[in-house]
Amino acid sequence: MPRLLRHALFILVPLIAALAIAPAVYGNHLLLFNLIVFMTLAQGINIVYGFTGYLPFGYVGFFGAGAYGFSLAVMHLHASPFAALALGALAALLLGLGLTPLFRLSGAYFAIASLAAALAVLQIVSNPALEHITNGPYGVSLSGVFDPSLAYAVALAILAGTVLLVIWLRNARFGLALQAIREDAISAGMAGINVVRGRVIAWLLAALIAGLTGGVYAWYISVFYPETVFSGEVTVFAIVFALFGGTATILGPILGVAILYGIYNAIGISTPQYFQLVYGLLIMGLVLFLPNGLVSLLRRRGVDVP
Amino acid sequence: MLIYTLLAGLLFGLYFSLMGLGLNLMFGVMRIVNLAHGDFLMLGAFLAFWLFNLFALNPIPGVAVAFALFLLAGLPLYYLLVPRLLAARDPEMLSFILFFGFSQVIEAVATIAFGTSERSIPGGSMARAAAAVASLLDLAYRPGPIAFLGQSFPVAWLAAGIVSALAVLLIYVYLYRTRLGYLTRAVMASREEAISTGIDVHRVSAIAFGIGIALAAVAGVFVPFMLGSITPAMGVDVTITSFAVIVIGSLGNPLGTVLGGILYGVSYMFMQSYYSSWANLLPYLLLIAVLLVRPSGLLGRQVRRA
Amino acid sequence: MFPESPLLAIDGLVKRFGGFRALDGLSFYLREGEILGVVGPNGSGKTTCINVISGLHAPDGGSVTFAGRAIGGLKSHQLVRLGINRTFQVPRPFMSLTVRENVAVAEAYGGKPQERVDIGALLASLELAPLAGRRAEELNSAQQKMLDLARALATSPRLVLIDELAAGLNPAELERVAARLKEIARSGVALLVVEHLMGFIQEITDRVIVLNAGKEIFEGVMDDAIRDKRVVEVFLGAEDEG
Repeated sequence: MPRLLRHALFILVPLIAALAIAPAVYGNHLLLFNLIVFMTLAQGINIVYGFTGYLPFGYVGFFGAGAYGFSLAVMHLHASPFAALALGALAALLLGLGLTPLFRLSGAYFAIASLAAALAVLQIVSNPALEHITNGPYGVSLSGVFDPSLAYAVALAILAGTVLLVIWLRNARFGLALQAIREDAISAGMAGINVVRGRVIAWLLAALIAGLTGGVYAWYISVFYPETVFSGEVTVFAIVFALFGGTATILGPILGVAILYGIYNAIGISTPQYFQLVYGLLIMGLVLFLPNGLVSLLRRRGVDVP
Repeated sequence: MLIYTLLAGLLFGLYFSLMGLGLNLMFGVMRIVNLAHGDFLMLGAFLAFWLFNLFALNPIPGVAVAFALFLLAGLPLYYLLVPRLLAARDPEMLSFILFFGFSQVIEAVATIAFGTSERSIPGGSMARAAAAVASLLDLAYRPGPIAFLGQSFPVAWLAAGIVSALAVLLIYVYLYRTRLGYLTRAVMASREEAISTGIDVHRVSAIAFGIGIALAAVAGVFVPFMLGSITPAMGVDVTITSFAVIVIGSLGNPLGTVLGGILYGVSYMFMQSYYSSWANLLPYLLLIAVLLVRPSGLLGRQVRRA
Repeated sequence: MFPESPLLAIDGLVKRFGGFRALDGLSFYLREGEILGVVGPNGSGKTTCINVISGLHAPDGGSVTFAGRAIGGLKSHQLVRLGINRTFQVPRPFMSLTVRENVAVAEAYGGKPQERVDIGALLASLELAPLAGRRAEELNSAQQKMLDLARALATSPRLVLIDELAAGLNPAELERVAARLKEIARSGVALLVVEHLMGFIQEITDRVIVLNAGKEIFEGVMDDAIRDKRVVEVFLGAEDEG
């Protein structure tokens, strides 16, 4: 059996099946939905950071663009949820295209610039001067299209597509080319790889994933503020989840979200500062002692982690 | 109005230079990105607040206390975090994540210790300090705003501007007129060559790390007069602003920070005066624009990836 | 001065870094299947010359013609697909990929569709076959240099620019590498070899050029080069400084 098929059968199918059945046996649907959202976003980070080495510290910008694209389409164009989702994805893609010049920058500069870009979009969306368009800082309410069970199913489909994409990257030569770019862009050029094109494709795929996820998030919760969908925490969680599990793998980000999001809910959100403390310490410990994630523990024992 | 805006911009510009100076020194010497920079600044602000309220210590002598305490705290912190980081394969990127975690820890601990209420120091304290200085220098001064070129400014702005200018001057003297500063510049030019010529790179870096944090704390002392009230959550915005300043000047070149700070300060004041509703957008747009047009900063060398 | 349609023709090439002219009107040519040695003291422009031909730096003046086509300013991946490749003085494999993946990705992206390269045989010919499943970062420096060469050869090149392959090899390894390079050249691939080891250059090259300060000061066979007054001066002068 080819590796791609094997990975699809033994990782993707059980994951999606479990998350499809879960609402019937577990009452906290919002938690399950957020689990799906973060699994998708962590895989999006995986595509950019794991495969090309660029850390998009403003990744939430695409999520927010998707959420607001969706909302504006519903509010002003009275679009159906699916059409609105497409427009949300388009908004994220356009933002991604607009930011492609940032790839001229190296590591930290890129991360800072992408963060600044996300914050700039937040400042624009939440500006009281644009209240007649975006409703400014007062947020949006989309009760007209509220349909959480359909939104849940769509979110699951987006996750399935995203995981499938990562499975493909892990097994196809394009994924290998992206990793080559990450390792050494100059050498990648000498391997005949079009470095700029590779980076841009990975970037736009990640933007598309976050845009779709943001759109379906807006649909599911239907009432939110600008700070909700542009929260820096979204980026940070997605990055930490992906790193904790291990990037450039299929399983790493999935494991990372499953374990850390579990801890998150165990600690509880009632005392955010203790939660923040534990998280901060976790991130520091991760960088200092386990920079290649959980899967590196298995790798050291000779296990080939997909 | 125009002259007022220019002069106020200049004073704030000097202060913004101080804000970015430590961050830039750290990046220049260690190539690490201190995302907790704003949180050290916040801690410096709290130190000044408690010194004032518990010991009635005026913020001006508080500057010296803050500098000494944070310099001392920085040395062990360096040995705890940085050598391990520099041994990793991609220190720049990992430092980004590590110090993000650290900033979360600081913010959480500060929230647990101080609560979330907003603190400030009365502006009259600055006027008293100014009066004391004036009587020492035998100048005629009555407590109150200071008039200059027909404009009147809060005395705290002037104090912040003067302390900032002094700090920049002292860093210049340190880097260009002392033996340790000479070694520091050698490490900035090339870490590898500095190691191979037998310079104790860790000692030089640890001191630079301490100075970097201490400068942040000094800037923190002026927070209540320049940026508004002190809260544990203020760090993120300060970090972003500091980055905008040093990227405009040039990353890794501490003295380029002054140019960046003044440009930033003047444009900030112009935005406040003429387009106040969009003023918050400024740091992000300026940051992105400078990165795209001249990613090495206005005074910098090549930083783009090949 | 140039022969009829050489594979590579460099004419009046200039490359500046700030005010410094790393290449200052350099001209030379290379025929198919020829091994050209490039020697000169440190800083004479050898590596810069390779960097310009392989697309890492755009030239500031002069022309680079490859197989009759002006190629100055093209990107690396475009040059690779035209048939130019290189190795690096400090080897730059994809460290976290396996040896086989390193070569396979180059074959997939830089190779010619009608001319598949047998990766197993290629690795075997450079003594890398036993390491095929290892990550590149586990290899020693000499093995990484061979991996650089394997990656270059995987793209079916017509010209390979070799930047100090021999440094750090023992005499037995040197002999095998020399034999292998001659074999590659016999198959019609042109090689430009930058090297400090004069014995190695003498053994493998048909012709050498000597560079100093970005200019060519000698062209001919190695035996004549070591008797040339200007060449001797340049090398002795360099040794005084070093």
